[in-house]
Amino acid sequence: MEVYIQVAVLWNRSLVQRSAAVSSGSRCCLVYRHAVAMGTNAKEEMQKFTDKNSRLARPLSPHITIYSWSVPMMMSITHRGTGVGLSAGVAVFAVSALVLPGDFASYLSLIQSLSLGPALICTAKFGLAFPVAFHSFNGIRHLMWDLGKGFRMPEVYRSGYAVIALSVLSAIALAAL
Amino acid sequence: MAAVTRISALCNRGVKPLFLSKSLLARTLVSSKKTRDPPVLLSAQIHTSPAHYAAGSKAASLHWTGERALSVALLGMIPVAYMYPGPAMDYSLAAALTLHSHWGLGQVLTDYVHGDTAIKASNAGLFALSAVTFAGLCYFNYHDVGICKAVAMLWSL
Repeated sequence: MEVYIQVAVLWNRSLVQRSAAVSSGSRCCLVYRHAVAMGTNAKEEMQKFTDKNSRLARPLSPHITIYSWSVPMMMSITHRGTGVGLSAGVAVFAVSALVLPGDFASYLSLIQSLSLGPALICTAKFGLAFPVAFHSFNGIRHLMWDLGKGFRMPEVYRSGYAVIALSVLSAIALAAL
Repeated sequence: MAAVTRISALCNRGVKPLFLSKSLLARTLVSSKKTRDPPVLLSAQIHTSPAHYAAGSKAASLHWTGERALSVALLGMIPVAYMYPGPAMDYSLAAALTLHSHWGLGQVLTDYVHGDTAIKASNAGLFALSAVTFAGLCYFNYHDVGICKAVAMLWSL
């Protein structure tokens, strides 16, 4: 019995040494003999996957139709939506400036002549101000994330609600000007 | 490094050392858990990322930083344009707005458009749109009242 114990201790000690050598990162053939560098990059891997999917005509798994919506998800797509909407608005404005006859003041007096009423005009101002406000405040939230701050779930929700509140309040304030 | 952790994961499937006495068992526990198993020779291939990746282009990283820097600049321009309206802010806003839109829409296209020809076509279309937008805004700044004044006039309705 004693012999077995002594052999076991010696054997364990050699394992400790071997494991220590491995974990210290030395080129132990036990570990590195079969390590191979990848031959493709991420983009190529993705392209292979996309091609295989279209070749096999695989249906897309349901995602937004089944996944339960959350405030962060809705704010994210709203950020994108307001961004695309504002870009479209600026583009339409710029193309109109190039294409339409008359100057800006003439179009404003045209709108004035419509006598739309203060309620409608205020609503329209809110409709313009809210996307700008939301995209700006949520943009600040995104920049904080880019600095590495505010990723914990409670923080995500808190900053999200703060952005919504600030956007609504500032849009109302701007519309009232 | 990943390969090393994989070995230790294999080793942790412990074989109970039945033949060790209690005092020796305590000593084994003090030393690393990895010592309990016989070493397993890996015959499977392990894929690792290239240890010394050829220094690739920093273009994507610089683009990312540029996007954030422009966003910060655009945020700063809003109050400044309110306080100091004029041609300098008009043209700065035109440039910053157009570029921010261009890069933002570019990310949207990257997310949703797939396939080589579709990507090329949509990016070309985006470039044309951004160019026309910038031209239109500059035209407006030069021949008409300019962006800052236009917003003020619109809001006075």
